[in-house]
Amino acid sequence: MLTEREKKRYARQILLFGEEAQEKLKQAEVFLAGAGGLGSPVAIYLAVAGIGTIAIADNDTIELTNLNRQILHRDRDCGRKKVASAEENLREINPDIEIRAVDATIGDGNAEELVGNADVIVDAMDNYAARFLLNRAAFRKNIPLVHAAIRGLHGQATTVIPGKTPCLSCIFPHAPPGEVLPVLGATAGVLASIQATEVVKYLTGTGELLAGRLLLWDGRTSRAEEIAVERNPKCPVCGGNGPGA
Amino acid sequence: MTKISVRTRLFAQFREQFGGAVPLSLEAGATVLSALNALAAGVPDGEKAFFEEDGSIREYVVLMRNGKRIETTEAGATQLADGDELAVFPPVAGG
Repeated sequence: MLTEREKKRYARQILLFGEEAQEKLKQAEVFLAGAGGLGSPVAIYLAVAGIGTIAIADNDTIELTNLNRQILHRDRDCGRKKVASAEENLREINPDIEIRAVDATIGDGNAEELVGNADVIVDAMDNYAARFLLNRAAFRKNIPLVHAAIRGLHGQATTVIPGKTPCLSCIFPHAPPGEVLPVLGATAGVLASIQATEVVKYLTGTGELLAGRLLLWDGRTSRAEEIAVERNPKCPVCGGNGPGA
Repeated sequence: MTKISVRTRLFAQFREQFGGAVPLSLEAGATVLSALNALAAGVPDGEKAFFEEDGSIREYVVLMRNGKRIETTEAGATQLADGDELAVFPPVAGG
């Protein structure tokens, strides 16, 4: 049940979705992989929206070069673990929700365990090796995965519904080479806002998800385009089996 | 020889390098591979964007002809028709 304080805090959303939907957000758990450029605004928007439990996973330490985009962290946080700073700052932003700091690297052996019983997974990672592990864990555990990635003024996003839409490996079977990426913080803000919107839509059953569509954002011309994407019958993750297999 | 017109859509860093929508006029019978070669021609480091040193297409490059995915290994065998649309983009990686 929503408390009187919660009814007040989320009054403008309750106008939008109703109390029952707000209750669904309160009961929900989101696994947020990454507390960096995308992860920061996603975490802030999910926290203020009243997602009951946010598990935020990262293994990095905050560096000065992160601060042009990683808006969850402050100058004083340099040298601290990102999840420690994230936990503290998110609690200040919304003390009415649970924040679980997961100080871990997403690896081959632990992705499914880390994801736990989350209702939704948010991919705010900065590399495809981790993204592919997260994608496989999402498929095996039959949990939707909200993907985004950024570079410069560009970004992409899609929502993966296991067994229904293409998975991340259907769309991008091969990782690009690693590089030090140029990026504007506001680009992360655009894509992270799309991710947070997708999470809230999914949990409340609102609108139409970015499912089976890859959204491509070009901040240089302020244009969003989309490409319909299809499942790959030969996909090593989702090609042969149903989700949860 | 008859020419065919192909519309290309490029995204992310490919868009920065080649432009967003480059119209191509190709020989009839041209393939997805020849379209990539035509895009790369005349653009500084154009070939490097799409191709490995051995001339094969970089495996992470996503190619879609009229919305259908084309494997990079099939690009040389996939013919384009007049009016086709070819989307070419790299996976964006940062977070």
